[in-house]
Amino acid sequence: MSDQRVFSRYKASEIKSDLQHVDLKRAKVSGMRRKLALKKIIANLMLGNYTEMIQLFPEILKFWKIEDDFEVRKICHEYVRTFGSIKPRSMVEALSYIMDDLKGHDETIQLLALETLISVPLTKFTDEAFNFIISLVNRRSVSIRLLEAAIYSLLQLNDFDHERVMSLTHILYDIIEQHLESPSVQIAALKTLYSLLDNEKNVDRLSLSIDVAYNLLDNIPSLNEWDIAFVLECLVTTVVPNTYSDAYALIDTVLPQLQHVNTSVALNALKFILYLINYVDEVDVALTIRLSNSVTALLEKPSELQFLILRNIILLLLSREKPIIDVDVSYFFIEFNDPIYIKDTKLECLYLLANEINLPQILEELEQYSTDIDIQMSRKAVRAIGNLAVKLGEKAADNCIITLFHLIEFGVEYVVQEIIAVFRNILRKYPHRYEKEVITLMHYIEYVQEPEVKNAIIWIISNYSDVLDNYIELFENIVSNVKDEQLEVQFAILNASVKLYVKTSLSRIENLCQLLFNFFIEKTNNPDLRSRALMYSRLLSMAKQRPDIINQKTLKDLLNGEIPIIEINSKLDPVILEELELNIGTVTSIYLKPTVQIFKESKIKTLPKSPILHLDKNTLQITQNNSMLNDAHKEVNGNMTISSTETNNRNLSHNVTMGDYDRPAQKVNQLKSRRKSSVNLNSPIKNISRKPSMLIRKLSLKRND
Amino acid sequence: MIGAILIFSNRGELIVSKLYKATLKRSVADVFRVQVINNQDVRSPILTLGSTTFHSIRSTSKDRLWLVTVSRNNCNSAAIWEFLYKLNDAMTIYGINSESTLMEDFMICYELLSVMLMPGGIPMETDLTAIVSMMSSKPKKSLQSINLYSNNNNNNQYHENNKLKNINNILTSNGSDTILKANLPSPTTAIPNLLRRASSISPISTNKDFLTKKNEIILSVIEKINILVSKDGFILKSYVDGIIESDNKIHDHPICEIVLNDIESIRRYNKYYKTKDKTFEMDNTMESNKEIVLQDYKFHQCVSFEKFDEQRIIQFVTPQGQTELMKYHINNNLQIPFKVTPVVSQTFTGSMDYHITLKSLFPPKLSAKNLLLRIPVPPGTIDCKISVSNGNCNFVPEENAIIWKFNKYNGLIEDKLSALTVCSNDTTELSSQQWQRPPIALQFNILMFINTTQIDAQIVYINDFNNYYTID
Repeated sequence: MSDQRVFSRYKASEIKSDLQHVDLKRAKVSGMRRKLALKKIIANLMLGNYTEMIQLFPEILKFWKIEDDFEVRKICHEYVRTFGSIKPRSMVEALSYIMDDLKGHDETIQLLALETLISVPLTKFTDEAFNFIISLVNRRSVSIRLLEAAIYSLLQLNDFDHERVMSLTHILYDIIEQHLESPSVQIAALKTLYSLLDNEKNVDRLSLSIDVAYNLLDNIPSLNEWDIAFVLECLVTTVVPNTYSDAYALIDTVLPQLQHVNTSVALNALKFILYLINYVDEVDVALTIRLSNSVTALLEKPSELQFLILRNIILLLLSREKPIIDVDVSYFFIEFNDPIYIKDTKLECLYLLANEINLPQILEELEQYSTDIDIQMSRKAVRAIGNLAVKLGEKAADNCIITLFHLIEFGVEYVVQEIIAVFRNILRKYPHRYEKEVITLMHYIEYVQEPEVKNAIIWIISNYSDVLDNYIELFENIVSNVKDEQLEVQFAILNASVKLYVKTSLSRIENLCQLLFNFFIEKTNNPDLRSRALMYSRLLSMAKQRPDIINQKTLKDLLNGEIPIIEINSKLDPVILEELELNIGTVTSIYLKPTVQIFKESKIKTLPKSPILHLDKNTLQITQNNSMLNDAHKEVNGNMTISSTETNNRNLSHNVTMGDYDRPAQKVNQLKSRRKSSVNLNSPIKNISRKPSMLIRKLSLKRND
Repeated sequence: MIGAILIFSNRGELIVSKLYKATLKRSVADVFRVQVINNQDVRSPILTLGSTTFHSIRSTSKDRLWLVTVSRNNCNSAAIWEFLYKLNDAMTIYGINSESTLMEDFMICYELLSVMLMPGGIPMETDLTAIVSMMSSKPKKSLQSINLYSNNNNNNQYHENNKLKNINNILTSNGSDTILKANLPSPTTAIPNLLRRASSISPISTNKDFLTKKNEIILSVIEKINILVSKDGFILKSYVDGIIESDNKIHDHPICEIVLNDIESIRRYNKYYKTKDKTFEMDNTMESNKEIVLQDYKFHQCVSFEKFDEQRIIQFVTPQGQTELMKYHINNNLQIPFKVTPVVSQTFTGSMDYHITLKSLFPPKLSAKNLLLRIPVPPGTIDCKISVSNGNCNFVPEENAIIWKFNKYNGLIEDKLSALTVCSNDTTELSSQQWQRPPIALQFNILMFINTTQIDAQIVYINDFNNYYTID
């Protein structure tokens, strides 16, 4: 189109000369040239070349007056919008032009003008905007799109003149309640009102009556996907069912939306149903199956959306004692080309889904991930195996340990380190169950490098000294470079040495302790470490000097007593969970953090009070047969239950193999020739055949064509 | 909702920015550039700093532009990412698929944004046909030309195929002297990833006035098979994601209805119509041995959800042109069309030795077209010595892969490939161990292959004022 680059910095004078270029003979060419120059202005604004470009404002106004071309008009408006936010005062002159456009008859231009008007933070501009909006709302027979745009403009104006926007909310209420306008305008009003009230500290959240809710839901077929998504989002917490039948009826109305192809509609429908479930006492198992299927089907979306769904699955798995969704583990197996964030999240899902039945299958997967080329991935997988051992009980732990020790044999440095780190947790959960493994573990002690792993190995040595023959050597070895260790390791060494001494009362260890005390008390800079060393040293000397006060037994109890068994608690605080469940599909559902922690301004969503609200989520009954869903659902889902259990069984028993699909080939082509280099085949030389016989064949082929 | 939209080039130059919140300044783009584009460690498509959240996607075009939204409240991420993908689609039909076209036509982006978003950053119109009708300029690629492919299934649709997920087929090695190798599964059986089938529901002819023009609706079923197979040949997971697309060339907007042949539809449909009209009764004897259970389904918004819920009839009024009518998910009773058995080992010189068997499992009377097997080789490979029993096989150095092509592949045929890579001198054994071993991928088209899930439309009819009738 041009030999000049649009996206590079220009001087105002350069562009000006382009703009003023008039060639009467070649009117079209100079028109193109002017447009290009205008485009350069916008590009320069993007590059931040404001000082030069502001000089062109008179030129822009000139064009505004004479050119009717839509593209030129777009550029003029874009120019004013950009400077409107940077240097609003300089743009005052443009107001009359904008108003001309706004009052014109072309809807597209009107929309452009409105958008420009609301992006300049000057009272002159905003006054006009407010007047226009009010007059538009009162007028009959306005184009729907323009009216919608006007209503949404209030959202943007809210940043400039909050008071005035809030004083207009009664107009919005009118639109919603009178149903005079088309459904999409009603939604626009509702959406604006909802977002305005969301940021308002002193006003309560919007609340809608059941009838309005039904009315909104009835309108769904005439709305576009974004409006449907909003209706479902907005109804959460704004509409409160007062009877069970209301709640069931609402669930039934929304159910089909789970099948929507737009993720936000499907997720919002899910959110609304989950919200309503708090107001019923039992649900049919068919409903839960339908929810689960809808969630798994969403996993086919592009990876970003998949990530969101996976995070929300985590939330759903955590939210109740018995999760409301039941998804097959195989959907969370990691695929080669999954981006790293999906891999991470899938790993978390696998961990949460694991139970004694599917453990073998999951362990097999995790073992593979542990050898992944990506170090972080592999570490996370190992850690997950370890955590599963702690989570699932003794029998499962045995399997996990077998897997871990299978992995440790390969001696990959970071895998070994990670295994040692998780093994400490396993030992803390199942004391004295894996003594044999502790001995094996000590063969890998030279791999230990990271502080956390060092701590783990020190802890293991000090607690399992009775199993290890050479614990003193091992420990002395670690102690030997105590000077260079990090602080946390020094703490661990100090604790372990005292514990070992109390346990064994050997003089060799006593000497070691003494050395350490001296070092820590005299050489170390950290006051905590120093004080702890002092305390231990005084305690021990006291036990020695005054056995009547502290005898060996009390000392043992004191320093080496029973430690409570650890539990891994992956559950979140129920209050946070409740709030997150009302925020499915939003930013906070990705981070799984309470809203106030991320968005300090916004209000917390809570379940509104109602006589039928079930505060304890675990009271929900899941029943086989319930009249709430009509026959249709039951039949479908009855079938689905069978099929999904079948697939589960199939996956577990591993009885479907590729072999089942295999059929003998009717024709087997065998390799005939020897391997040939393909590079030569590709090269042009290949085409030049030197053999006369080949040449003849080629010629004859051509003739045949 | 959306506070600002930013579009960056691959390297991080800001090309388009549109602000919807006065509290946001254009400098917010610099934050994103520094924190995400120039930061190699970022591993997530969402970033929240303070209360400002960035959602980003990379465009599907070859230049991988950054499409970013900025928001300041707890907005709906699902809606935002959906919107960004819609924006990506809209940019694609306007031919904005590279940095240079974006720099040339950035004003089109502004116009697209003002059509797609309302003031306040509210997504409004994202249907491509509607967008085109509201824009001042014509799209570079017409909607028809993009979407015509389902009409003509023999064409290779690479842009479509590229989006599809590859099957998890881990290249394996049989050596056992190093850790990583020994732990990878040994011979993996792999299954092709893509199958497309047009169950060409016959055109509907209409009144005589229109006979000269094509007045038809074509429904195509495109299925994507996804199978994960363990090293011993056990199928860990298998499912099919299918799409039913309609290409509507009917004048007016008649109401169309389809009934699928999944077990539930057949049962319900017969029950519903038995009392009324015998002629509508479906024949379910032929499918009696295989039951198809739809695990999940998603519909385009033109389909009446209620109707499907009540009667299992897919009733729709499609817009003109191409529409993705329905998506479904099935995980039972799959038939697998191909079997690929790779045996890959590493020689002590560091080169890889491939022995691959490809076998078609579909009936001999059918044939697959444009079959393409892509076998990744380690980086640093300068040549491959290849021998194949049939087909055309070449080493493509630019892609680091061996490509094995067949124009036509009949059912129940087995072919073999044997190849040895020759690596450059600086490749060491270590570097080939660190190679990620991407999956082998297979692409193909099979027309009228009704065995994957056996889903088929049982009954199609069009209700309307003009008395259309179907010819089956």
